[in-house]
Amino acid sequence: MKGIIGIGAMLGLLVILPSIQYVLAAGDSAGEYLDRRVVIWGLFYRLMIVAFTVGTVVSGLIVWLVLRFRESNPKATPTSYEASGSW
Amino acid sequence: MSGHSTWPEWVYVGVVIALLCYVGAEAWNIERIIEHVPEDAEIIKVTGQQWIWTFEHEDGTKEIGELHVEKGKAYKFEITSKDVIHSFNIHDYVVLLDAVPGRVNTVWFSPTDVGEFDIQCREYCGLIHYNMRGTLIVEDKGA
Amino acid sequence: MVLELQKPRPIWQIMFSTHHTDVGLLYLITSLAFMFMGGALALLLRVELFSPGVQIIADSMTYNRIFTVHGTTLIFLFILPSASAFGNYLVPIMVRFKDMAYPKLNAVAFWMIPPAGALIWLGFADFTWYAYPTYSVVSAPGPAADMWIFGLKILGVSSILGSINFVVTIMKCKHPDLPLSKMPLLAWAYLTSSLITLVAVPTFAAALLMLLTDRLGASGFFNPAMGGDPIAYQHLFWFTFHPEVYILVIPAIGFMYEIFPRFSRKPIFSHSSGVAAFTLLTIVGFASWAHHMYATGMSFTEKTVFMVGTLAAVPASAMHTFNFLATMWGGRIKFATPIMWAVGGIALFFSAGAGGVVNSAMPLDFITHDSYWVVGHFHLFVMGTILFGTVGFVYYFFPYVTGRMYSEVLGKVHFILSFVGTVLVFFTQHILGLFGMPRRIYDYPPIPEWVQMNIIISIGAFIIGIGMAIFLVNLIWSSAKGKPADMDDPFGLGGKYYFPYQAKNPSH
Repeated sequence: MKGIIGIGAMLGLLVILPSIQYVLAAGDSAGEYLDRRVVIWGLFYRLMIVAFTVGTVVSGLIVWLVLRFRESNPKATPTSYEASGSW
Repeated sequence: MSGHSTWPEWVYVGVVIALLCYVGAEAWNIERIIEHVPEDAEIIKVTGQQWIWTFEHEDGTKEIGELHVEKGKAYKFEITSKDVIHSFNIHDYVVLLDAVPGRVNTVWFSPTDVGEFDIQCREYCGLIHYNMRGTLIVEDKGA
Repeated sequence: MVLELQKPRPIWQIMFSTHHTDVGLLYLITSLAFMFMGGALALLLRVELFSPGVQIIADSMTYNRIFTVHGTTLIFLFILPSASAFGNYLVPIMVRFKDMAYPKLNAVAFWMIPPAGALIWLGFADFTWYAYPTYSVVSAPGPAADMWIFGLKILGVSSILGSINFVVTIMKCKHPDLPLSKMPLLAWAYLTSSLITLVAVPTFAAALLMLLTDRLGASGFFNPAMGGDPIAYQHLFWFTFHPEVYILVIPAIGFMYEIFPRFSRKPIFSHSSGVAAFTLLTIVGFASWAHHMYATGMSFTEKTVFMVGTLAAVPASAMHTFNFLATMWGGRIKFATPIMWAVGGIALFFSAGAGGVVNSAMPLDFITHDSYWVVGHFHLFVMGTILFGTVGFVYYFFPYVTGRMYSEVLGKVHFILSFVGTVLVFFTQHILGLFGMPRRIYDYPPIPEWVQMNIIISIGAFIIGIGMAIFLVNLIWSSAKGKPADMDDPFGLGGKYYFPYQAKNPSH
């Protein structure tokens, strides 16, 4: 069992180390003409789509939590901890 | 854990990590693409000093406060500073890099639109930092 | 816990006391005073930037001095001491010890703050709160710059002493019946943030000494003319001050861990995930410092490493957010002022965090670096999260300190004005940054978008200012004339508070 784990770890390292090498050194070779503005702002807009999607979910959840679990909501019920008085 | 189900938290953490991986991979890929300088890029030496920008083209012509470039060519800025740290910024072309005394930093771009664009300093450099401005003039020699 | 106003004592008894609640009170009053002072400077800046041209500040040097002292004051003289204030009050009670481990050291740590504050305010340096060389070495006018360096040096020592005290109190003086795993999350917050302080701050202390000798011309660590490297300072600086972000935010999150369960009337969703997230943040927080320096000409490799390190810190913060929301879920929440601040705080915490993730993507640095985007981003953290958590906790704590209730109406008005103002100011600053306006500029060209957004920002800042004025009135008026609080249950929530409000102060 130990041998298998050891071999697995070795093989894993053989995959991981070259890919780290590739990831970290990828900026070196010469390239072609491109428009920085298009590339960078494109990335910005893609990330904004992600951020605003997540933001809508989170802020919607917060607003719902605040409205649903406020004390004055007709559906509000005492929590199970209130009877014992400690939480 | 205090006796309640924790799988929602694990799912949530998984989603967060997946999103972060996406962001990291995208950013890595774009940075890789924009760092590749074309081989025929012309070198422009940029020097910051309190509180002006000077430029030196490959053919030796020098300019102060104004930079003339041609549309469609690639340019590589070699940026340095004479005194304190400045930051060379052409916001309209998303060019930004610090001018650090004792170092030469490089960034490249290829102008696509004819016109005048603002050059500014983005690193605090003292009294006139707010007005350490210049102009990038993109010309179309072919037309 | 102290009830100064119900059982008045001569002021020197509090000033020369070493009891933890007295030192906590001193910390609290000092930090709030500096908060109002630093905030007033921000309003001056916003008046100046209201439109292009000169408004009220005559020259750019004065403007530069004002924003430098604004930043330095609010970070080092407001946020850090206000965290120490509540730590002093609560950590000994939470670990069930009679006082801090080293009471005299505690008083010494506090009494280093007023002279440091005096040095910073009398000097009024101009080289921004991070004092980058070579500007700070060759160009910044003295003696202001040197006074700033000495002031920060003193504050650094003060926060190291305070942190040693917290760590020892928690690790060595904790009641034997209370295992670390059962310790309240606020005490965990102090333990982790103090550990970060102990690792991070000495680096900056060393950098400050080098900066001083460089300014004196005795050395050239950061001066290229003498063979030094200005970027080395930035590494030393951010190795301290990126973790410092966590030093500042962790206590604020700890405050929210007190407020959310209390007002939701149910225990925290998961104590262990809070502990895990604090611990994770303590470690991972040290892996991201150079993301502040992408624009200094770092290699692709360095940028990639620090981007990954930055992203790695996000899940921990996300776990806290989850914990807060899950605690509210299924509760019966009484929306008194403290929890309104806490809920507003997590909403803004999320926005700041999302902006931070976007920011850490290295190509976007070409757009956002040193623009108003960055200003908006970190202000969302320090104002939207840390100040919101802290102010919420000030309201929460008010009855224990004074024995009286604050005005609930004024507190809510303060919250609404601050929330609206914060969104107006700092969200707009993000957009202004995308339009390319650099930070730290005294004047700007009349570009129509810039002018419009600056007007919006200034109006938002005045709204915050009005809110803070109401806060000040509420604090002073309520502590003198407010209606006496029911000390067993000041917020009418039912249930027992697990920390007793009577700390045994021998002077009482």
